[in-house]
Amino acid sequence: MSAPSSIPGGGANGGSRDGGQRRSKFGRFGARRREVLPEEPLDYKNIAYLSKFVSANGRIQSRKRTGFSGQNQRMLAEAIKRARIVGLMPFVGRM
Amino acid sequence: MTLQRTRTYECMCLLDNREVRNGWQPIKDSTLAIFTKHGAKILSGRRWDERRLAYTIKGQQRGTYLLVYFSADTQALAGIRRDLQFRESVLRSLLIECVEVPQAAYEPEAEFDVNAIPADDAPASEAPAVAAPAEVAPTEAVVATETTSTETNS
Repeated sequence: MSAPSSIPGGGANGGSRDGGQRRSKFGRFGARRREVLPEEPLDYKNIAYLSKFVSANGRIQSRKRTGFSGQNQRMLAEAIKRARIVGLMPFVGRM
Repeated sequence: MTLQRTRTYECMCLLDNREVRNGWQPIKDSTLAIFTKHGAKILSGRRWDERRLAYTIKGQQRGTYLLVYFSADTQALAGIRRDLQFRESVLRSLLIECVEVPQAAYEPEAEFDVNAIPADDAPASEAPAVAAPAEVAPTEAVVATETTSTETNS
């Protein structure tokens, strides 16, 4: 009795079981996300917009949540930190 | 050899309301004098807002923001930052480089009545309003725990 030709879920050259269309190894997490653009300028004076990207504890949301590009995420973090320095936004907690 | 470069900067100054109540124009002029003292050219200096602070700064819960756009030599920034920190009427200051001055900065400043500034609300005055519903909650919690405990026993 011979062994199966392909191991399920393993090996890059394993046989395809779904009609030739290869499934991603990481499932839905590996799917490409569409980049989200900021609707308003990421300025430290724009408190109403920046507050949307801060959690109830005052933490800056991650890129996974905001959907921003790396550059916009850095601008967002910088704007929030500047707003905190001048007392426009809290370091901890919600306004 | 020192490198001379003139750039445009934006400075947000948080001013103490105790000083602002004595008059807006004197404190504005004295703050702008810090910039001109170091050879900066003031492009715009106007009141941005008077609002409640997100956290208490030097015992103040409210403050008035002065937004200044100026062009200065890069070597002058250290002196400007130092003088802003030494000035007691300036609670906080943020000095950043600015690509271009927004058009709204050149608009005339709105009338500012310093007597209309609300007084700082002390934290003690807020405590009873918050504590009142909190007193009800523990009794409900005790009742809830009692019911659950009786259910568990039965």
